[in-house]
Amino acid sequence: MSYSAAKNSQMQKKLRQEAKALLEQGKVDCIIGYEPGSLKHATTPLITKDKAATERLVINPFIVNNLSNFLPYTKGRIGIVAKGCDSRSIVSLIQDNKVKREDLFILGVPCSGLIDVSKVEALVGKYRDEIDDISRQGDIITVKVGAAKKEFSLSQVMFDNCLACELPTPAEYDVLLGEPTSPIGAAAESAGKLDELKAMTAAQRWAFWQNEFRRCTRCYACRNVCPACYCKRCFVDETEPQWLAPMPQEPDNLMFQIIRNLHVSGRCTDCGECERTCPVNIPLRALTRDMYDIVDELFEFKSGMDTKTQPLLTAYEVDEAEDLVK
Amino acid sequence: MTITDISHRKMFPARGNVYLPHMVVINKIIDEAPDVRTFHFNFKDKALSEKFTFESGQFGEFSVFGHGEAPFCISSSPTRPDHLECTVKRTGRLTNALHRLSVGAEIGFRGPYGNGFPLEELKGKNLVFVAGGIGLAPLRSLIWNVLDNREDYGKLDIVYGARSPADLVYKYDLASWQKDDRFNMAVTVDRGDEKWQGTVGFVPQVLEHVAPSAQDAVAVVCGPPIMIRFTFPVLDKLGFTSEQMITTLEKRMKCGIGKCGRCNIGNIYVCRDGPVFNYQQVMDLVSSEY
Amino acid sequence: MADSKKVRKEDLAGLLTEWSRDYAVLAPSRADGVARMAAWDGEDISFLDWYRNTINPVKSLFLPPVEEMFSISRNERGHRIELPPKDDTGCLVFGVRPCDARSLILLDVVFEDAYEDPYYLDRRRRSIVVGLCCTNPCDSCFCTSVDSGPAATAGMDIMFTDIGDNLLVEGISRKGKELVAGNATLAKATRTDENRARKIRLAAEKKITRKIDTGDSKERLLAVFEDESFWQQVSAKCVSCGVCTLLCPTCYCFDINDAMTGGEGSRCRSLDSCAFSSYTKMPMENPRADKWRRVRNKLCHKYEFYPMLFDNIACTGCGRCIRLCPVNWDITQVLDSLPAKHESKI
Repeated sequence: MSYSAAKNSQMQKKLRQEAKALLEQGKVDCIIGYEPGSLKHATTPLITKDKAATERLVINPFIVNNLSNFLPYTKGRIGIVAKGCDSRSIVSLIQDNKVKREDLFILGVPCSGLIDVSKVEALVGKYRDEIDDISRQGDIITVKVGAAKKEFSLSQVMFDNCLACELPTPAEYDVLLGEPTSPIGAAAESAGKLDELKAMTAAQRWAFWQNEFRRCTRCYACRNVCPACYCKRCFVDETEPQWLAPMPQEPDNLMFQIIRNLHVSGRCTDCGECERTCPVNIPLRALTRDMYDIVDELFEFKSGMDTKTQPLLTAYEVDEAEDLVK
Repeated sequence: MTITDISHRKMFPARGNVYLPHMVVINKIIDEAPDVRTFHFNFKDKALSEKFTFESGQFGEFSVFGHGEAPFCISSSPTRPDHLECTVKRTGRLTNALHRLSVGAEIGFRGPYGNGFPLEELKGKNLVFVAGGIGLAPLRSLIWNVLDNREDYGKLDIVYGARSPADLVYKYDLASWQKDDRFNMAVTVDRGDEKWQGTVGFVPQVLEHVAPSAQDAVAVVCGPPIMIRFTFPVLDKLGFTSEQMITTLEKRMKCGIGKCGRCNIGNIYVCRDGPVFNYQQVMDLVSSEY
Repeated sequence: MADSKKVRKEDLAGLLTEWSRDYAVLAPSRADGVARMAAWDGEDISFLDWYRNTINPVKSLFLPPVEEMFSISRNERGHRIELPPKDDTGCLVFGVRPCDARSLILLDVVFEDAYEDPYYLDRRRRSIVVGLCCTNPCDSCFCTSVDSGPAATAGMDIMFTDIGDNLLVEGISRKGKELVAGNATLAKATRTDENRARKIRLAAEKKITRKIDTGDSKERLLAVFEDESFWQQVSAKCVSCGVCTLLCPTCYCFDINDAMTGGEGSRCRSLDSCAFSSYTKMPMENPRADKWRRVRNKLCHKYEFYPMLFDNIACTGCGRCIRLCPVNWDITQVLDSLPAKHESKI
């Protein structure tokens, strides 16, 4: 089904009705969704128990946050808005006993991909707040700056992980807010950075990452927005023993990310939140996506696609890959 | 004037790089209780030993090089300046490293920091010391200070308790204090053992039983938060006003000089504006996060 | 604007080159992926076209994300500690925005208070802050609500204003005035130049539409301080990362750690964040283990505690915390939502 603004607003209308009814009927204690952000072309998570607040819920091409991240920290029964990628994280959290399926009411959003505003910024040479309008009709994105109008294709402006999306419509939901959508299917166009890195020698790659991680501030946004990073105490905060220097320096910054990446392997759903939130633009998805592909290649496993498949790290088969450590 | 009004905040003279530690050498280690040790130390630089002064209740930043630094109160009295002492419970990286050291080891020290106990205000008063566990450490500095100037103070009471007999610290001091008839002392444990013949009971209860008079008195309290919480109401019942109760607040101080930010309770930085406060000041703090 | 000077844009590189003889000149650069202050390369002034503000605030030049306080070496006789080699080079930072320049005077009082902090203050004393008036503020900027503005000069030594073909140059501090006065590359600005600058500044100020009433924010925060449900709600979507604090121009919390292998190493200071629960973690307890307490502390430090200590609000309205927040947590919305003042605690 191709995207249209009309279909989108229908979904939004349905969402508001459903969410309001859920709270009214006491089926959930709170709703986690999106509302318009305070910045242009942005949304912000809405976590509310207030029926009236459901009128603020939105669905648009800017609903970027993976809201499943809030689940382990939210009490009671929760009505949660979930795109395909979010639903995969939810499934993964259910499998890890971080949240109970019966405590959730999943409001599934058949997703058509999200617009990466930083790509738009680069394309039009303007900052987010200088861009008047970004709209989508079918597979064309129209950007307006003043009187000027430019059109772009999906592969130019969608998030890389959206281009590579394998599950735009949630597989796990209680109500689906619209007609199922199909993947954009432009994975090849999203792998630019990864291909570039793979073409490098190991030494070049090491130099590349060292340079990238030099500007890491250790703000841990990548960790804190990651639904798979739910440890009560992160290894990086340990002091006895202290695994890594607790200060922003190399090679500790890179080591932190490598270890984090290993820790979430088999649970990472390629939602892209780590890369999107990095304030200093470190291309983190090149690491996580590579790990995602390695997991798939070695174990034919993609996390959170359905509730039936056993989580990777809890399953072992005698004949599975033994050349794991290369 | 309340504590949140900082117009009378203490200022400090400018001096060189305050972050540079002085080298001190451990010359005695005493096992006080499980995981608790007292370290006696002296400055490596003899001239500095002569020059160094501090007040009871002040603290220092102790470095174990390679493991960082942490603040501990000085538990010896300024009236006995031949060496300094601190008592440390093993709880984390720095304290583990400190406990691994032996006599002769060199550590870093910078300080003293903090306001210390208001000695001038305490003079002429009857004093009631209430301490729990390792909370006796800062009080011990004050107790020896008072004993060494006994004639300056009125009646003295000490109520000290620990979880078990093994957890009592400064047993050598307790023994000598118990024999001293210049003051009244009560030692208690939460749970005794087969050898324990003393009092069994929580510090606040024992304090209520000892029932020191609030007349011309000041109570100095230090111990685990739970003990402090239950001690103030008892003192209140005994007639102590909130200005007559003094405590020293434990917070995760780091830099010791009011900059790094983590020990704030509202606008007050424990390391810079404390650690000694009276109960009225504690109640006046913006936040109850103490 | 009395005694103001000007320089043609094509001569700016020349002027910076001139200053490079006496100072290490830093200027906005996006050579490595994000806008930041970097050693000026000797020619590039293209930042005049793209630069709005850096990701890392200017504080990071004076209170770096991580710095060595001293080195430590161990031998049989004990430990030797040594300060890093003394650097006497002056540093001229070109293009500091008014919000960031103001943050420096807010930080100065902290590092001068009680015990002087030699690391921060030494760098400050060796620095010349050359401001660049904001002509294109972001929609997240709210400097005019916190005693600043796109043309505010607090914390600057010199201020430049882009007036088209030329840059208007004004000496602000004594140091800055001296530097401007004797410079032959600078021409005297005309009345027209000054009028143009005035107009541009006015237009910039008009562009700042995000406004909050900070007049009684201190009292309103105090009134709501103990209201846990308010803070629970305000903090619900915060993910407790360090973006808003580590990249805030006025946040200065730090940690001190040793890094040592074998007998060699150093003691380092690095920025820390009150948003992390590990920040206040003590062996036995943690007074701010709850997220709502940390969010409350962050906000109150800026708008209540710091003002109690040093009169000013510890926020310059630079908007980074809004722009860079992973969940678009907006400090201005929260301040706006504070209930009107009622009976306060003191």
